[in-house]
Amino acid sequence: MQIFPRTLNYLPLVAAVGAALAGGILTFVVWYYFSPANLQVGYTPEQPIAYSHRLHAGELGIDCRYCHSSVEKSQEAIVPPTQSCMGCHAVVRPDSPLLEPLRQSWETGQPVEWVRVHKIPEHTYFDHSVHVAVGVGCVSCHGRVDQMEVVSVEEPISMQWCLDCHRDPGPFLRPPDQVTNMTWERQPGDDERIADVSEVRPPEHCTGCHR
Amino acid sequence: MTRRDPHDPPAMWRSLEDKADPERPSRRAQAEAHDPDGFISADAIVSRRGFLTLSGATAAAVGLSGCIRRPVENILPYSRAPEYVIPGVPMHFATVTERRGDALGLLVESHEGRPTKIEGNPDHPATEGATDVWAQASLMDLYDPDRSQRAARRDGAGNLADAGDTTAAAHQAFEEALGARLEEHDADGGAGLRLLVQPASSPSFLRLRRAVRERFPSARFHTWSPLSSSNLRQGAWLAFGLPVHVHQDFARARVILALDSDFTMTEPGAVRNQRRFANGRRLESPSDDMSRLYVVEPSPTVTGASADHRLRLPARDVGRYLKALCRELASNHGVDFGAVTGALGSPSTEGIPEKWLGAVARDLAESRGQNVVVAGSRQPPAVHALVHALNRALGNIGRTVGFTPAVDPEERDQVTDLRELAEAMGAGDVRTLIILGGNPVYDAPADLGFAESLGDIEFSVHLSMHRDETSRRCLWHVPRAHELEAWGDMRAIDGALSVQQPLIAPLWGGRSEIELLAQVAGERNWRGHSIVRRTMRESMGQGTGFERFWRRVLHAGVVPGTAVAPGGDLPIREPEIASAVRDLRDPEGALGADDLEVTFAPCPKLFDGRHANNTWLLELPDPISKICWDNAAYLSPSTAAALGVENGQMLRLSREGAEDIEVAAWVQPGQADFSIGLLLGWGRAHAGRYGDGRGFDVYPFRTSTALGFASGVSVRPGATGYLLAQTQEHGSLEGRAIAIEGTLEEYRDEPRFPKFQTVEMNIPPLWDTVDYQGHKWGMSIDLTTCTGCNACTIACQAENNIPVVGKRQVARGREMSWLRLDRYFVGEDENDPRFIMQPIGCVHCEEAPCENVCPVNATAHSPEGLNDMAYNRCIGTRYCANNCPYKVRRFNYFTFHGYLEGDGVLGGDYYGVPEVKQMQFNPNVTVRMRGVMEKCSYCVQRIQEAKIRSRRTGEPIQDDWFTSACAQACPSHAIVFGDLNDPNSEVARLRQRDRAYLLLAEVGTRPRTTHMAAVRNPNPEMNG
Repeated sequence: MQIFPRTLNYLPLVAAVGAALAGGILTFVVWYYFSPANLQVGYTPEQPIAYSHRLHAGELGIDCRYCHSSVEKSQEAIVPPTQSCMGCHAVVRPDSPLLEPLRQSWETGQPVEWVRVHKIPEHTYFDHSVHVAVGVGCVSCHGRVDQMEVVSVEEPISMQWCLDCHRDPGPFLRPPDQVTNMTWERQPGDDERIADVSEVRPPEHCTGCHR
Repeated sequence: MTRRDPHDPPAMWRSLEDKADPERPSRRAQAEAHDPDGFISADAIVSRRGFLTLSGATAAAVGLSGCIRRPVENILPYSRAPEYVIPGVPMHFATVTERRGDALGLLVESHEGRPTKIEGNPDHPATEGATDVWAQASLMDLYDPDRSQRAARRDGAGNLADAGDTTAAAHQAFEEALGARLEEHDADGGAGLRLLVQPASSPSFLRLRRAVRERFPSARFHTWSPLSSSNLRQGAWLAFGLPVHVHQDFARARVILALDSDFTMTEPGAVRNQRRFANGRRLESPSDDMSRLYVVEPSPTVTGASADHRLRLPARDVGRYLKALCRELASNHGVDFGAVTGALGSPSTEGIPEKWLGAVARDLAESRGQNVVVAGSRQPPAVHALVHALNRALGNIGRTVGFTPAVDPEERDQVTDLRELAEAMGAGDVRTLIILGGNPVYDAPADLGFAESLGDIEFSVHLSMHRDETSRRCLWHVPRAHELEAWGDMRAIDGALSVQQPLIAPLWGGRSEIELLAQVAGERNWRGHSIVRRTMRESMGQGTGFERFWRRVLHAGVVPGTAVAPGGDLPIREPEIASAVRDLRDPEGALGADDLEVTFAPCPKLFDGRHANNTWLLELPDPISKICWDNAAYLSPSTAAALGVENGQMLRLSREGAEDIEVAAWVQPGQADFSIGLLLGWGRAHAGRYGDGRGFDVYPFRTSTALGFASGVSVRPGATGYLLAQTQEHGSLEGRAIAIEGTLEEYRDEPRFPKFQTVEMNIPPLWDTVDYQGHKWGMSIDLTTCTGCNACTIACQAENNIPVVGKRQVARGREMSWLRLDRYFVGEDENDPRFIMQPIGCVHCEEAPCENVCPVNATAHSPEGLNDMAYNRCIGTRYCANNCPYKVRRFNYFTFHGYLEGDGVLGGDYYGVPEVKQMQFNPNVTVRMRGVMEKCSYCVQRIQEAKIRSRRTGEPIQDDWFTSACAQACPSHAIVFGDLNDPNSEVARLRQRDRAYLLLAEVGTRPRTTHMAAVRNPNPEMNG
């Protein structure tokens, strides 16, 4: 008396092959889609003030360093103190309801709670000043901020991505006075003003970034 | 003792047990590998069911947190940015700290307002850029989570209770109470008003003291600190009739005789002494001279450990030795003591080896005008006076011995001062007592009855960082500001005036001594800033240009022109010295098992007890005994045998006129026979969560007539088995001699110490050898000048966010310090060995054995030759530590940050670290978690900073731009760090030095750290 059909004899085999396939697919999905290229890129958090880089950096053409003032001196580019904003907004649109959190910060002395967009892990030490000094443009890592209404992440900011440039920095270097230029393109004669790749030698060893 | 070949059986030993059985270290290493308790602590094992519950919960937590894409992190910019602050760029401020009457100039690093690291101020004469262990550790005092946060008043039940719901309200309540009280005293001119203060070196304090006396003419000031310099002052007064501070120039002296004086670590001016002492022994080449140090002391100190000849002598016999030596000099070497000669008499020389009189006297007589005799502050004034007479007779005064005026000429003998106060308190004459700092209930001489009568005073105030033993007996407690939180001013022993500049606003609203004093004086502007500015302005004498002057002083850290070069040629008062020496009687009878001596010394970690809640210092191994988290009674091996006492056995000490105390015994080679060494500062009842009940309080045994030492002590051995966690056998290299020592004579014969030079490897290296271009970082450590003072160890801990692990974990060998200080005993006589100190961190092998065994490439070599650790790759196999021949890798078993706050069983986590302690972390160094191997990184964060600066400015890195934290702290300048490829760097020069050797060169690891052999300068006449 045969209760189960004979075809069921293949069940262990099918199950094994299926499990292997599923495992493989799962591994691929995790390995590919859970990478920073997919998880980081496109992160666009809402900010407490609807600050538009398109307006300020793009249309008005304010230089990045006007607000991110320590980018040449410090590891931090800094988000500007309320004071910097008030330098203009005490006069420009002083009553805009959008700027209410800013005015409150100015009156109370409490900080505006901006949300960090570009985040690197805590065991990684990135220094803005040295990148700017050798002539890596803002746009290389941050994208066309001058076209963003709300800032979002454009590059994966993963170790792989960092190392791609550290191993071959040549294509990403520009004359140091052009770092904040969002639309810079290599012109004849620029080559002398660009740092020599053999001199730059960005670190590729662990403690270059991990201390 | 001769030199040892690398493969000879060890003539150096780490512990008495190892000496008795040379095979023991290797057996111990095997036993540790197989001991399950060495891996998982028995009390950490949970039940099977508990384990499953926990792992289930962990899996759920991991799963849940994995779903969340990323934690949202905020950026909080300033609203109004402070001037000069650039986020991410640390600032440095000059300030000053007090150390036994001296002022140490400091430069403090501040990250966005948080002080994170303390260094010495290179422009300050007391430090010249170095620091000591306490200055390094004082950050942990600042961020102590148990500091008092409000003013408090004793309630009906006799307990302290907050005097208000907020800091401000509590202060206000106190100020109202104080104001009312002082108004009553206005009527009686301050009758019954007493102030108990710390010894003052502050001009503002002296000014305010005058102001208080003006307001309350009948008020009296008393001074007390348990480690006073009263004996030094009185000795100088006896000899010269003036309030002077006596300076010794240890750099110029060719022969130094230290009588019970730990002048390189715990005596006043120790940091400058250590630097000068090291300068007098720095050997560039075999033709250089080095000084010779004789030390006579009861209990081994770091100074004694550096000695060329060391005599173990009970403290009470030191005066007798000095008299006998003077007698020998007068009789046989024509040294003229004038009127003092007669007073010397003919002291007994029992127990003093002949050579310690004959040979030492000859050495001193032959180096007249070029030697120094110095006595320690626990020796009585007459010994100091005789030392001054001896220095005068040897022609040293004006050459190697100089003077500067005492900072507070009014200061009296502190015991007399405190006794008068205690008597007045007992008689009910004191109605109001204001105690500024200190902790007299804990540390006052036991027989004065100070603590008992304190509770009866109507109105008593204690200004203190903690609600400690004294605060709990006072009516009012006021939180005191840490030195990094308050304005002040200080004079160093050479007169150098500095402004103490706060780095941070008081975390808990504390007040400084001068602020409270100004309130007592009734000054309207009682804030520290105004007080100090006013003092400075008054002393300047003119009003113009003050702001510029003030800013310059704050920037430089010292007022230009205030430091006086010690000099002068004071005449001595022979009759006074003679009569004092006549009164200095030889001790009667010989010490023995039923008549022992005890000596009281400042703890080389907790000092007098003020650092008792400082985890860095609590865990720091003692420089000599290597005990952590405890103090102990030190006995010499032969005394221990005579008493039948073993390590960790409780001893009950009794002495007439003092309370009995119980202390655990520790057999300490180098200790004088029948003299027991006791360290002050432990056994606190109300120090805080870390310090309470640690170690043994020996103050009850210290009476007003026996502050330094006492004899007539009997001992009753008690229970055995008290656990003393110590590190003397940790990281043992199983008998291989890695500290190399020789005599000056041997060094001159064979400058390259050929037997210890790089031995040819008989195995070729595993990989192609690298030719290091660009930077090639390296370190050099000179064992000749290293005293073992521990400043480097704490500097490393502060710079690199290194956790403490607690006593039980230390006992299991899990301490985390990246830089350890090995102490070796040398010689066959286990009662009287010599000592070698050797700092060892990762030596950054070019052929690193750890790198070859890491399965995940978490430790790899950088092109500059650093042995890098990538913490996030580490999976904790610990293969690297097993394969490290130097045992310098540290494994973090339990997330030791926060471990002490946790239950200590399942370990801690970062969130367990009190927020205030997190403020100390260096933001440029990863805070490592559990399961990760770590080790010295050569302060790679400083290297990277320098490289970035070089890139930014376009200048090449200069040797003086930066150095490692240990090298920066070292008062001896024994540690030097730099670029070996830079021909101008100091370290490249030192590496070529003939004494330089590589640790275990025969293994072929090619370390980047070189050690330089310890060279001693023994007197040939003293041998045999």
